[in-house]
Amino acid sequence: MVKKVVIFIIILSNLYSQDIYQKSCVECHKSLPASLQRMFMNYLLVYSGEENVKVGLFHYIRYPHKDTSVMSKLFIETIGVKRPIPRHKLSDKDLKEAIDIYWEKYKVFDKIR
Amino acid sequence: MLVLKNRVTNSILNSERKSLLRFLTLYILMSTVVILLLSIFYYQYQDKLNLANHRTQLSTYAHDLIRRLKRTHHFFDQSQIYPRDNRFKSAIYDMEYINIFSILDEKKVYFHKEIYRINSKIHFVKVLDNYYLGAKYLIIEVDDIDDWIDEVIKNIILYGVVALLLLALFGLYLSRLFLKPMRDYLMLLDTFIKDTTHELNTPLSAILANIEMMDREVMVEKNIKKLHRINIAAKTVSTIYNDLTYLVLKRENASYNIDINMQDIIYDRVEYFDILASSKKIEFRIDLEPIILYIDKEKITRVIDNLISNAIKYNKRGGFIDIILRDKYLVISDSGIGIEESKIPYIFDRYMRFNQSEGGFGIGLSIVKDILNEYHISIDVESQINIGTKMVLRW
Repeated sequence: MVKKVVIFIIILSNLYSQDIYQKSCVECHKSLPASLQRMFMNYLLVYSGEENVKVGLFHYIRYPHKDTSVMSKLFIETIGVKRPIPRHKLSDKDLKEAIDIYWEKYKVFDKIR
Repeated sequence: MLVLKNRVTNSILNSERKSLLRFLTLYILMSTVVILLLSIFYYQYQDKLNLANHRTQLSTYAHDLIRRLKRTHHFFDQSQIYPRDNRFKSAIYDMEYINIFSILDEKKVYFHKEIYRINSKIHFVKVLDNYYLGAKYLIIEVDDIDDWIDEVIKNIILYGVVALLLLALFGLYLSRLFLKPMRDYLMLLDTFIKDTTHELNTPLSAILANIEMMDREVMVEKNIKKLHRINIAAKTVSTIYNDLTYLVLKRENASYNIDINMQDIIYDRVEYFDILASSKKIEFRIDLEPIILYIDKEKITRVIDNLISNAIKYNKRGGFIDIILRDKYLVISDSGIGIEESKIPYIFDRYMRFNQSEGGFGIGLSIVKDILNEYHISIDVESQINIGTKMVLRW
């Protein structure tokens, strides 16, 4: 019993220590064949600048459609278009915060040598 | 006779030379501006031609780099090394003109020009269709090898000078063509004056000598008055004759300068003109100091004669002429009709006459100015209509 409680507390504390990006994005994308970095590079390929990428990403998460997806046709046909995330599950503010974290994590500026 | 002709021609040539010089200066100035403009266009054309030559090569470099950027983009999780090339330097910027990565020497980039020169570098801006690594703008930079500039400048100087010389020659031909009517007119006038002078000499000398020799004591009063009038007329003609003689024959003779007592010479000339002045009841008011000037007697006589003659000619009946001589200046003022202020700058021009009612050729003051210039004596003219004119000579 004590063991179960400890495990529950650890899971709970892990859950609360995660940021909005980890909680809302990483968890679901784990199961997809394309990594978040690959998707980020696809966004860069289409949208180029920071503001543009963020706006495009925000719009797609709210209104996903195969025509506006940055992923390949094969990926869409195999995996399908994601379901839209309703605002009561992820507010605009949290979504923007998650996108900011995503940008900071994968942006190429500081990484190129 | 040949010497006389040469002198006349020289005096014409002087005025022609002035006009020619003015015209040519303006013409060459304008030609230079045109040649400069053409040089600028030629330079710009060569610049564009040179850039166009570079464009093909830089475009090839850009396509090479885009291929390598694509590889870097797709394998970014494995390698983040920016593709470099020894032949050129490059940089990538995103859609918002934010620098993603740059190894350019010249950091300043003009995104809206395809190719341009900047601080000895050439930049080629390629807008990407696919934004590899987020890059919309790819900048390729190479050194600007400016050998062509020396060649262009050499061409501009060479052809510019040749063109300018040809245009100057053409301008010279044109100006001579345009000035020919003026030259012919002046030649005719000078020939006329020369002939008139020559023809006047003998009869005038005879008239003046005979007037002096006539015995007034045996004459009746009526005839004395007539003789008096003849004397005035003869002296007026004599003054004109002396001016013409100076202009045609003596102008270019070397000056024979000696110490001249200006007081004596002015008294002498006033006495000579007294008969002319008294005919118009003009009073001389003379205030002279004994001043010595080192000058040609004939020439200073022409100056004083002309100034006094004008003061009499353009004076009112019953007026006055003031003559003041001091150490550094001579003033001759009259109570005459005056000269309009706008015309004062032109009174020393040859053949310039403002009052057609009085006789003369308009050469008196031209001679005065000519002589004063030779001796570096300045002349100031102050005049008011119907009040008088004041001539001040300073040395």
